[in-house]
Amino acid sequence: MIRIEKERIDEFIRTLMETRAVYAPALDGKNTMFAPVEDPAGIDHNIFNTDKSPKEIFFPHSEVLFEYEGEEIKKVERDVRPIVVWGLRGCDARSLRLLDKVFGSAWQKPGNDMFEDPYWKEKYDDAIIFGTACNEPRSTCFCNWFGSGPHDDAGMDVKVVDTEEAFILDPVSEKGKKFIGSLKGWAEATKKDLATIKAVREKAEGLMGEAFGMEGIAEKMADLFFKPVWDDIGAKCVNCGACAFICSTCHCFDVQDEGKKGKKGKRIRIWDTCMFPLFTKEASGHNPRDMSKDRLRQRFMHKFSYFISNYDEHLCTGCGRCVSVCPVNLDIRDVVRAVMTSEA
Amino acid sequence: MSNTYIPIQMKVERIEIEDPDKALRTFDLVFVNEEDKKNFEYMPGQFCEWSLLGLGESPFGIASSPTETDFLRFTVSRTGSVTNEIHYLREGDTIGIRGPMGNWYPVEKFKGGNVVIIGGGFAFTTLRSLIVYMLEHREDYGDITVIYGARAPELFIYKDEISEWQKRDDIDIQLTIDNPADGWDGRTGFVPAVTKEIAPSTENTWVVVCGPPIMIKFTLPVLSELKFADDRIYTSLERRMKCGIGKCGRCNIGSKYICIDGPVFSLAELKKIPEAF
Amino acid sequence: MKELRETVKSLLTEGKVDLVIGWEKGTMPGASTPVFIDTAEKADSLIFDSTCRNNLSVYFTKDRRELAKDDKKIGVVVKGCDSRSLVLNITEKQIDREKVTIIGVPCNGVLDMKKVTGKVDGKEILEFTDDGERVTVKGREFEQTFPLDEVISDSCVTCVRRDAVEHDLFIGEAREPGSDENAYVEVEEFEKLDSGERWARMEQEYSACIRCYACRNVCPSCYCNVCFVDQNDPQWIGKSPEITDTMIFHIIRNLHVAGRCVECGACERACPMDIKLLLLNRKVAKEVRDRFGSVTGTGLENKPAMADFKEDENQDFIMG
Repeated sequence: MIRIEKERIDEFIRTLMETRAVYAPALDGKNTMFAPVEDPAGIDHNIFNTDKSPKEIFFPHSEVLFEYEGEEIKKVERDVRPIVVWGLRGCDARSLRLLDKVFGSAWQKPGNDMFEDPYWKEKYDDAIIFGTACNEPRSTCFCNWFGSGPHDDAGMDVKVVDTEEAFILDPVSEKGKKFIGSLKGWAEATKKDLATIKAVREKAEGLMGEAFGMEGIAEKMADLFFKPVWDDIGAKCVNCGACAFICSTCHCFDVQDEGKKGKKGKRIRIWDTCMFPLFTKEASGHNPRDMSKDRLRQRFMHKFSYFISNYDEHLCTGCGRCVSVCPVNLDIRDVVRAVMTSEA
Repeated sequence: MSNTYIPIQMKVERIEIEDPDKALRTFDLVFVNEEDKKNFEYMPGQFCEWSLLGLGESPFGIASSPTETDFLRFTVSRTGSVTNEIHYLREGDTIGIRGPMGNWYPVEKFKGGNVVIIGGGFAFTTLRSLIVYMLEHREDYGDITVIYGARAPELFIYKDEISEWQKRDDIDIQLTIDNPADGWDGRTGFVPAVTKEIAPSTENTWVVVCGPPIMIKFTLPVLSELKFADDRIYTSLERRMKCGIGKCGRCNIGSKYICIDGPVFSLAELKKIPEAF
Repeated sequence: MKELRETVKSLLTEGKVDLVIGWEKGTMPGASTPVFIDTAEKADSLIFDSTCRNNLSVYFTKDRRELAKDDKKIGVVVKGCDSRSLVLNITEKQIDREKVTIIGVPCNGVLDMKKVTGKVDGKEILEFTDDGERVTVKGREFEQTFPLDEVISDSCVTCVRRDAVEHDLFIGEAREPGSDENAYVEVEEFEKLDSGERWARMEQEYSACIRCYACRNVCPSCYCNVCFVDQNDPQWIGKSPEITDTMIFHIIRNLHVAGRCVECGACERACPMDIKLLLLNRKVAKEVRDRFGSVTGTGLENKPAMADFKEDENQDFIMG
């Protein structure tokens, strides 16, 4: 564990910037998000969960797959420097790990790299994630529902704890250990630091609400597929995509060509969501999920049933962003409670 | 790392119009690069994303059999903007494809058994692949029965080839049209009813059903009535699709993605999925 | 609140309505959430205060329009602006006036939560109370009280029709509309900018858009069966959050609700990116008022401006 006094943090970030593209929380207009760092002095280390989730660092809202001119295909050049993310919260670090299960894996087709996503892998595989432990979780936080907590380090390479005086950097992955081991000129964390970390951790954990039991939710949701509980849950949903686009784990996308046939253009992939009617509408006009209720159910089934069947984890880390932004306050925690207390 | 989003270049070698309305066209494609041809291994039932730069992509089942090594065949119905442009293609044009994608009809499992193939309309594409494949490996299979329905005689696809099959004694071809028509002396009636009439034996028999959703919906109960077990019935599903590799999230039925877990499913598998029908 | 609950209870028990759409307490401090009350017992959860930000008329349109098509008699709790949406939807034949029971509640403006958190330097609010004039917020180490007027949405600040313009029942005493002579001060400020400056300002606002369409989906005036952005054959508009396409979406939506927007501000409050969406809507509403003397949704006998034609109306904009 190394210790970086607060007044030297810019210096530390600058050393990261020498070889890597560093992303950190920043205010852009009225909203906070992860942005490439140009000047370490501009980083606001006090930003809690950013308004926009960090998934866009690795899975941008709109990403060019390739460019074309006539029939010719051209790959796009990108910043090839490996990525460092600074100031990522535990929930988001775990979100990235969940996304890596989708994009980074050759699910069910072992050894067939055709099914790995090159655009994700070229960014995520070499990235180093500095995760910041939460000393003051919010009332919308529910990471502990998923067995995590404000000081969980899963999905991080280096865990960072803010002790008021200093940032204490604790390498947790092999990649993180190697990286921290290569650094020179930084002090080791003191015994006092360790005591402070223990204290802030206990305080943070004490601030979390009670965890709701999620055992068996995948099967429970599947059993309830045709039940009226979804009418009750879905009644107030207005079927916008705010929850999905702000979500750190929602990852559905559309593929579009911009630029006419025979001309110069680009094929892009763009965030899309099951909440939109066009998502599943077929060329014939038939839509398997025609009603808003069907689409809402898909979103929650994906998070709490299908993803568990396929990857053994919930597709939610309890960051609470959707709780804050839903225009009708359709709280994901209420959805889980409604499902878990319904009769199959 | 290979990049599955980049299409493989193909050349349109031959185009055939299948119906009087010119709404169905069959395309034989050949690989532009020898390397791509070598790497492209597929089985009956798999599909490809056709990729038209500037227009987008659409998935189509492969109608050729892997035993036909010189070309890839597809039959495309004109329904939307991409398929409309596909119909404008001329012999010699180049296009892109991505694939092969998805799983395939379990031809290994079928070995030693009888196979009943039930098809409707222009969804006969991957069934053609399956038939050609089995005829090429004829000794591996028992009786092969084909029940194929169309609205009218001129709407069968691959008519010449079907005539050839009808001349053979190692495959039983049963064609049916919805309503009687001049010059048609074959069967009339919908596929489910004809299936019931023919009543193929369940003895060591596998069934493959592929066609419009409505045909599948009414044929499956007939098969159950005939006492075919759910795990002996296979069908191929369609959904709106984009990536084709299980990432973009839109073609799922329950936890299964049509693009990688399907498109071929047994009825036993589908019965476990609430959204399947 | 008591009177509202009792009113709804008697409507339900007397069989005058089958269902009432209202608000109940939400899951966060300062939040409410729409609720569908179909039994008298459930009516005890109804609330009305400055947290009731949604325009519930939206539940009569879009996917939920079967609500209004059923033989169900539906009651709905409305603020002034929400009632104007109902009036618009009734004049546009989306809602049958006979089947809807409009319950007006006295509105003093609804919260802009960004203004509230701004008052406490972004600190987390854990408790919220509103006595109709003043709001009090509490957090881990603070408590603060301030006038409601200082934290209401921009659309409420200039609102001159706070109480329902059309109602069957009113909780309390409905106030007469004020004069809208000075209702568009911020629009007038905007108009003073030259066209380049105006464009730059709009671009800056809309560049934050994530194309989630929350603005469209909470809007009771935006109820096309299939929205132009949800069409792909042909596809009218690019889907990436690129500024040109984003602007096309917002401007077309804006023009599509010209003379139909009631300036309730639900779009702006729904925006997860805090885009000031209402400015352009209000600019158009001001044009409609000035050119056609029409204020949307203020009377069942008035057609929406764009659906009406009078020989003597101002046609300068056509003649150029």
